[in-house]
Amino acid sequence: MTPLVLCHDVRYRYRDGTVGLQGLDLSIAPGEFVVLAGASGSGKSTLCRLLNGLIPHLHGGELSGRVLVAERDVRLTPPVDLAPHVALLLQNAEAQVVASTVARDLALGLACQGLDRATIGARVQEVAAALAIEHLLERSPATLSGGELQRVALAGVLALRPALLALDEPFAFLDARGAERLRAVLRQLHRQGVTIIVAEHRLAEVAALATRLVVLCDGRVVADRPPHMVGSDELEAWRLEPPTWPAHTAGPPDTASILDAAAPAFDRNGSRTLLETAVAGPPPERAVIAWNQVTFGHGGQPLIRGLNLTVGAGEALSLLGANGAGKTTVLRLGNGLLRAQGGSVYLLGRPIGRRPLWELARDVGLVPQQPGHMLFAPTVRAELEVGPQALGRDDPSWRARLIERFRLGALLDRAPYRLSAGEQRRVALAAVAAARPRALLLDEPTVGQDGPGRAETRRLVSELAQSGVAVVLATHDTAWAAGASTRWAILDEGRVVATDAPAALFNRPDLLARAGLRAPAPAAPKDACVRGIERA
Amino acid sequence: MQSRIFASSSQRFDPRACLLAYLIGLAAIVISTDLRELVSISLVLAVLLSGLRLWGRWWRVTRMVLPTLVLFALVAGWSGGSAAAVGAALRLLALISAGLIFFATTAPEDLGDALLASGVPSQVAFLLEGALRFVPTMGALAASVRDAQASRGIRFDGMHLLRNGLALLGPILISAMRLADDLAEGLETRGFGGPRRTPLRAYRYTWRDWGLLVTVLLLAALVHAGYQ
Repeated sequence: MTPLVLCHDVRYRYRDGTVGLQGLDLSIAPGEFVVLAGASGSGKSTLCRLLNGLIPHLHGGELSGRVLVAERDVRLTPPVDLAPHVALLLQNAEAQVVASTVARDLALGLACQGLDRATIGARVQEVAAALAIEHLLERSPATLSGGELQRVALAGVLALRPALLALDEPFAFLDARGAERLRAVLRQLHRQGVTIIVAEHRLAEVAALATRLVVLCDGRVVADRPPHMVGSDELEAWRLEPPTWPAHTAGPPDTASILDAAAPAFDRNGSRTLLETAVAGPPPERAVIAWNQVTFGHGGQPLIRGLNLTVGAGEALSLLGANGAGKTTVLRLGNGLLRAQGGSVYLLGRPIGRRPLWELARDVGLVPQQPGHMLFAPTVRAELEVGPQALGRDDPSWRARLIERFRLGALLDRAPYRLSAGEQRRVALAAVAAARPRALLLDEPTVGQDGPGRAETRRLVSELAQSGVAVVLATHDTAWAAGASTRWAILDEGRVVATDAPAALFNRPDLLARAGLRAPAPAAPKDACVRGIERA
Repeated sequence: MQSRIFASSSQRFDPRACLLAYLIGLAAIVISTDLRELVSISLVLAVLLSGLRLWGRWWRVTRMVLPTLVLFALVAGWSGGSAAAVGAALRLLALISAGLIFFATTAPEDLGDALLASGVPSQVAFLLEGALRFVPTMGALAASVRDAQASRGIRFDGMHLLRNGLALLGPILISAMRLADDLAEGLETRGFGGPRRTPLRAYRYTWRDWGLLVTVLLLAALVHAGYQ
């Protein structure tokens, strides 16, 4: 059978000299489902962009070797001619949905191929029905949620009925519900005969669907086998995270009986009773930060409903919930960006009331989901100084300790905006911690990070907590939160519905599922990660 | 079965006729030299604003440019006297009003489609729709940067905005450039830039469009000639 993708000794160097691929050999037959694994910088995204001609036609650079996709030489075929054969879903789906309404966006690719209006209309309706987005057709993309935007972007590239669909880290921003929805779509497309390539380092999300696991390392293929034949020790050697939770948190939870007793209390109306029976935080008067009966709404829509939560000094608490559960709103209420409409937020025992943000920033720091949004100084060194100086909290010896702990010494004279996403996150965390806040709030700290990046963030969080800071981690990443925090609070529709030690909540998959979360897969044997993948 | 998904449009006139009428109006405002001409044009625009019930939006836009308007009038008044000051203010207000009427009556995507049908390159036609699509995205980006900086204790109230403005501008510009790069990739993946993009709606000039153009031309000529 003629392969759909054929790469032979492919070498690619970006315009700025960065090596993307070096001697890559790969052949993919029609109908395969391939997971492309690899740490950040391994060449996954480069290969995806090569398949539809973005490389070299948009990105330039030096390309050698042979790349054939659907029997077309990629070097000689521009993206506009490859688009009907190869669909690529980019990580930033928002930039791929470019028209003023969803319907017009789905029509864009078809219109660019010069199809007639009747065919365009029929195909738009067909793909919208297939991805269950008919109700969104007249909506503006600006009004869609992240998951909806991704489905629209996927529909936009699928409207051309391509033979090959490549997805670049499609699970990075999705919670458990969104991920399950995407898996269902991929399963369906694969059944219909579409060849699928998913570039992903969170193997637990997708490995169970795949027929092949191709591991990239430093721009070349280092393993190419069915997923169940790849050992978890091998994955760790390639800086990949096996689909398991950290070993030290595994084991039989000893608080199961407490939770079983509390389980009937978990419902939409009376969930607060669970707080009284499970592991609770310190009382509000001894907590560093506390949300006491906090309510908040926007546009007539209640977002936070009577939220109670306390976090003490030296504690790392994970605030877990699906996208839209209210995690970011809770953090923004905690640092004063938003003000409670009912109840109070207490900082070091005092209600924050109407105290100005710059005053609160001395005691509570917030690292946003996109750390790049807070970095502006010309160098990393200046970035670490500017916040503490603005707050009158400059402490050179503490800063020096942070530079050492966060391994920022080699980056001090570099411009923050030129750093990788992982480095930017380290700098942002250090820049906020440099002002010595007593409470630190982190919004989705693992989004878009690979295994080593997630482990690094976990280590930094743990060190900050050990230094006495109260840390709140808003995340939907249960596997990471298991090792990063000592206590979990599960948030659902603006309420804390359970708070307990992570190990206790692992045994409550029903409770996690109702909150749109998924329990991490169990630890896999060292010689094969098949069990973890099957569970995923 | 033919799909009706793109069949209907709320456009009363062909978007190209609206664009031409707008350009004629702009020319009339720009070339007017007599204060009475500007007053007449302003009256016509005021009637249109009332007819289209656009006074609320007009005030929201005008309020934003009020400092510029005052400065503009002061500078003109400094060199040309009070009549020049009033003329400058009226001219600016007329330009704002004409723009508001045009964009309130012509959807950018409809204009893009109509221009595409007239042979305008798809890249140019897309600018109109793309700008509309990404205005909210840029607004959200700016708000996110402001919140991130304020959370670090960086103040933007009063005079602090002047001192700390770079903390806002830098990340916004860099994020906007990244978005532009991502957008270029997004468009390429959609096969954008091919030689034959189909307009999603068909437009044809009718007697109504010709009537609009003739009326606007006549009005402009009358106002201009009447005060010479």
